[in-house]
Amino acid sequence: MDFLKRAAFVVGGIFLGINLINYFVLGHTGDYLPGGERMGEWKQANIREACYPALESPERDPLLPQLTTTQHRIDWQDLTRAKEMTAALNCYLVTHPNAVCERNNRAYIVDYINRYFAKVDEMMSTAKRYGEGEVSTVRNLWDSPRNRAITAALIQNTSNGRLIKADFGWSVPMAMKPMLDRYKGTTDNCPRA
Amino acid sequence: MVRQFLTLLLAFAGGFLAVGAWIWAPKISNAMSGLVSVGPPSVSWFADANRIGRPEVAPVIKNCIFRVVDVGPDAAKMQPSAGYFILKAGSMQTSISSLAGKPEDLRSDYRTVSLAIKWAELADCIYAQDDRELCDPDNRAAMVEATTKFFAFAQQAEASKPPISAGEAQAIENSKGKLLGALKNHRRYGTLVAADFSSFASPEISRVLREEKQTRDICKR
Repeated sequence: MDFLKRAAFVVGGIFLGINLINYFVLGHTGDYLPGGERMGEWKQANIREACYPALESPERDPLLPQLTTTQHRIDWQDLTRAKEMTAALNCYLVTHPNAVCERNNRAYIVDYINRYFAKVDEMMSTAKRYGEGEVSTVRNLWDSPRNRAITAALIQNTSNGRLIKADFGWSVPMAMKPMLDRYKGTTDNCPRA
Repeated sequence: MVRQFLTLLLAFAGGFLAVGAWIWAPKISNAMSGLVSVGPPSVSWFADANRIGRPEVAPVIKNCIFRVVDVGPDAAKMQPSAGYFILKAGSMQTSISSLAGKPEDLRSDYRTVSLAIKWAELADCIYAQDDRELCDPDNRAAMVEATTKFFAFAQQAEASKPPISAGEAQAIENSKGKLLGALKNHRRYGTLVAADFSSFASPEISRVLREEKQTRDICKR
């Protein structure tokens, strides 16, 4: 019995370790989204490859996030990531407005929305250490025409039931909670095959 | 039976660790001090977050980095933090080669000396700013990192075989004297304390921090 307990402890430890590495190290957060009829396999999302061209040279797109001042404490890696994430999400939601209706794409897009808002929150929380000026710089950065188009697309997708709270499971981004609550119970208007 | 086997296994593992640690301790210690020039541990892991910030976004880096890292006309378009990243990435490559025991050649010695000089120039430029500038946690982190990395590369260059040229050794020695002088001043001004540096910092830095005493605090308003 004692041996069985120890074995169960070891197996449990291995299971937990694998999942922690998968989530935090490999960053496969999409594996932990809810399954079901609406959500498919994020790894098989076609939208991912369809949007590769949008990510080829984001620095050439003037509508993506730009710095409004040279007096800032934003790391270039964060700046690059902000541009890339905006370009990608803009492609998933704005350029291909119906992509979210396909279950594999939906799983991938929901995961990407989580990452997008997590990056915004991370940069805002770093900026808070430097005061109101820096917070305002970061806020302006994430308020480019493409970011505003993404916000509009998110409002539209929640209002027509293409994205619902249950799709996000336990990881609903703070910024999306009000819109998801507002349109709770809406049936999606996706084109039926 | 199982318990006996586990005890034997534990005893074997314990013995292996004890003997292994005895044999490999100097190598591990050298590797750890080499790591100082690789990544973030230049600054102390236990430093107060209000004292040590993010060196890559420090305002002093904006003023100094493109005097050290030559990116040509792209400097105007490039973020200073990207320039700092280039310098750190170059340092990382050299340190990893040295840690992995890559055969020493003239080119790797040249890289080590050149990196030591680059970090010294950066540290020199940072120390040349207004003293109070270094009260900013990001600026302080940049100062700590540049100083620590210079001394780590200087140590590596001085230990290289065949020895570096007399001219290079003199240049490193001059930079050492200059930076130790600046370090002493900042220790007295209270802009730097021992806890800002990691425990792997070079003995020269540790000695200054230990021997010099703070006489005032220029950061206090």
